[in-house]
Amino acid sequence: MCRRGGELSSGGPLLDVRNLVQEFEVRAQGGVRSGVVQAVSDVSFTLAKGETLGLVGETGSGKSTLARAILQAPRPKSGEVLFDGVDLAKLRGKQLLQARRQIQMVFQDPFGSLDPKWSVMHIVEEPLIAFRTAERAERRSRVSEVLDRVGLDPSRYADRRPRSLSGGQAQRVAIARALALDPALIIYDEAVSSLDVLIRAQVLNLLERLRAEMSLTYLFIAHDLALVKQVSDRVAVMYLGKLVEIGPAESLYREPLHPYTVALLASIPNPDPTAERAPVTNTIHGEPPSPIDPPSGCRFRTRCPHAQDVCAAEEPPLRRLAEGHFAACHFPVGRGPNPGDAPAPAMAGGAHDAAAPN
Amino acid sequence: MTESLLEVRDLRVDFRHDGRVVRAVDGLTYSLTRGKTVAVIGESGSGKTVSSRAIMGLLPPTAKVSGSIRFDDVEMVGLAEKAMRSHRGRGVAMVFQDPTRSLNPTMRIGGQIREAIQTHEKSSRAAAHDRALELLELVRLPAAKERLEQYPHQLSGGMRQRVMIAIALAASPKLLIADEATTALDVTTQAQIMELLRDLQQRLGMALIMISHDLGLAASFADEVVVMYAGRAVERAPTQMLFAHVRMPYTRALLEAIPRLENESHALLAAVPGQPPNLALREPGCPFTPRCPSATDQCRQHMPAFEEHEPDHQWACWHPCADAVAS
Amino acid sequence: MADLPSDLVVAGVAPSLDETAAAKVAGRWRGSLGVTIPAALVLLIIALCFIWPIIGPVPPPTGGNILNASLPAFSPGHFLGTDPVGNDEWSRILYGGRASLEIAFAVQAIGIILGGLLGSVAAYLGGWRDATIMRLLDVVIAFPAFVLAVAIAQGLGPSELHTIWALCFFSVPAFARISRAATLRVREQTFMTAARLSGTRFPRMLLGHIAPNILPQLITFALLGIGIVMILEGALSFVGLGVPPPAPSWGNMIAQGQSTLSADPRYVLLPSAALFITVVCFNLLGDGLRARWSSQ
Repeated sequence: MCRRGGELSSGGPLLDVRNLVQEFEVRAQGGVRSGVVQAVSDVSFTLAKGETLGLVGETGSGKSTLARAILQAPRPKSGEVLFDGVDLAKLRGKQLLQARRQIQMVFQDPFGSLDPKWSVMHIVEEPLIAFRTAERAERRSRVSEVLDRVGLDPSRYADRRPRSLSGGQAQRVAIARALALDPALIIYDEAVSSLDVLIRAQVLNLLERLRAEMSLTYLFIAHDLALVKQVSDRVAVMYLGKLVEIGPAESLYREPLHPYTVALLASIPNPDPTAERAPVTNTIHGEPPSPIDPPSGCRFRTRCPHAQDVCAAEEPPLRRLAEGHFAACHFPVGRGPNPGDAPAPAMAGGAHDAAAPN
Repeated sequence: MTESLLEVRDLRVDFRHDGRVVRAVDGLTYSLTRGKTVAVIGESGSGKTVSSRAIMGLLPPTAKVSGSIRFDDVEMVGLAEKAMRSHRGRGVAMVFQDPTRSLNPTMRIGGQIREAIQTHEKSSRAAAHDRALELLELVRLPAAKERLEQYPHQLSGGMRQRVMIAIALAASPKLLIADEATTALDVTTQAQIMELLRDLQQRLGMALIMISHDLGLAASFADEVVVMYAGRAVERAPTQMLFAHVRMPYTRALLEAIPRLENESHALLAAVPGQPPNLALREPGCPFTPRCPSATDQCRQHMPAFEEHEPDHQWACWHPCADAVAS
Repeated sequence: MADLPSDLVVAGVAPSLDETAAAKVAGRWRGSLGVTIPAALVLLIIALCFIWPIIGPVPPPTGGNILNASLPAFSPGHFLGTDPVGNDEWSRILYGGRASLEIAFAVQAIGIILGGLLGSVAAYLGGWRDATIMRLLDVVIAFPAFVLAVAIAQGLGPSELHTIWALCFFSVPAFARISRAATLRVREQTFMTAARLSGTRFPRMLLGHIAPNILPQLITFALLGIGIVMILEGALSFVGLGVPPPAPSWGNMIAQGQSTLSADPRYVLLPSAALFITVVCFNLLGDGLRARWSSQ
């Protein structure tokens, strides 16, 4: 099925996020101060066509907020989101709707993202109806086709309600729905985190297969670095709204530059009982700070074992420290201070020359 | 006084639901020595949580428990509620998955810990307060004194879980059950909490049952691993032996489904098809048959017994895996 | 149900091998007690009040012969006797029920449709539209509604239709409140975001996604409120408004009957008993449906 309007007009990256900022208000709640949380703080990165970019972060990192801001749901406070050269933040109404065809999302809760009163057929058909593509018969056949692709036999599943599906099956329906309009980019927001281990492996393999078959581009968001690394070409790490490291998956693993990435790697439970295990408190200590009142300068400094005075005074910009590999740290791991490195082009967070996948 | 603190033998738990009977645990057997850690690993529907609730006597009245659970030489199955109440907290304590729901949002932290202390021993408010402070310091909660006066929503997820652990330790239990205690936490916090648990266990000589779906976690922190599927134990061995000589195909499937940092990008995981069986529809043979790469007719028709086939290594399988060639 | 641990996978329905046939039937009955029996009773009451008077041998409820006044129960041709002006009491109960039920159904129906729509749209749109709609409804609620009902009835003259308008002032804001709360809850669900991202527009969101998900709550509320509306109608009748005599409604029968309460209590007791039974049946049905729908 050919993709309508999906061919890239420009030769540039499919997605180009620039200085994205998203805020929301937090209301006072018995002792917790009210204020404004900057959930996404000046984040920039690019995503090339056909690439998978993994986005890792823990609670409060802003990764989910970032995904929603890219989709303009709700609109970011400031910054640009260039999809195929067009800034989504400037589109309104019908134009935004048309652009949305090309970007779809799969959510964490497989059941929460499906209307419990609708049948599987109806759920997957919804985007086709909304965009008024084709007549009913053609729509239905498209739904069957896409259900087949995700491994659900349409004759057995089309009339079922989400209630009678398992977690893995429900998530496959969500994926089918995302594929219905033949999008260019799919954002997976912790899409496999609620699934059982074996089902998760099945769904991940499905995602790989779909990516190859349908030439899809993925933004894969999760808190499990091992998982993200395995599915991604490049990985970006977020902490408290900031992008702290971004680079090729393999480089990030073998040569992590930011202390937070080191902490994440050290926290992953190693399925090898004979392996040497250093205590994680060597790499990170204390509790995550309040997002309403983030630390001055480098936001990670309150938990960083190598923090110095300059870390409180000055926020480190995202600097290019290796081929396609950027980190925002005054003392990147294994590098010492780098007075010689010029900051990357286009302000902090300019990872634009990392567009090419490795 | 025997070596073994906990002996579960042929535990069965049935639920009446809508007039039907569902067997959630179908013959579980394992034991736990004082001061050791056992990881009970399984996915949804494996029965791991139900079995741990049975040890605590926390099952709803619709549950019917049979078999034997001997804790410190006392039979738990069929124990009267009064005796069960004193056994809870003093003998066995539990830390649950979601600290947000286990802590009373309208009560200060100090009050909740005091309540736990005063349930099990007669002590004055002041003495209980001191003990509460002691417990919070034991679980390494920063600024413990201030935290006593705070409410749960003022603490982060990791801190709340530390408070839960403190409450669980209030009566110095001999056994602590951590039921997916770190599943809802961030990965860095999870690592911190797990290290805390291991440290506490060594200091207090407590035994620990870790309930989880994460074999990686078991590898890092457990002495022994029991793997459950569809309500039964399917493999049990000391940790190193289990990982080095996996026998049950389900355990191997679990191992192979874990994403590894060493894997290349876009590597496919060795995934097993199908999904966990419907516990309301029990077939005669091994429940893993529909998904097992080594399944035969024998597996379909006859349930393999959970037995010790190699020294200190039990499993239930007709066609166990051979040792993998060193990679 | 809440007492099953979450790791229990009980998908699909299948008999267990070791269950007796009697246990299976018992299980099915237990489920049906909640809904089937009250539903059957409600249908019976509706059939009696609406259909039976048309097809059965029921004398008219008005225009009775004064010579037959105040006959006792089990008199020939009048098994519940007659009222002080000679009308058949059984007939008055049935026609009275029809009037009371018509009013109650109409008021709840208008409530669900108008109130439900207002509350839902307010919640979905949010912002100033939400605030405006809800504050307007607050004004209606804050107004001494009974005074309002009396004013309407006085101004327009008492009749069944005007009683319905008056009672709508109670029901529409109440349904709007419920509908708004339910819509807010549904709006937070991920499938709403997913629908928006799929390109679905407002009308379809409201009718396709929100309505089916809030309707169970609204219907339950409507059923549980039927009793309240019928009693309110009775209250209106007490002050001479509501359905004007000689046409019967349970409310005005109770109101009229109080004058002869000591002499012949049956004129109060019979409509009261009918009202009581009907209200209980609707409440049981409402409860049963709520239990069934919330366990899904």
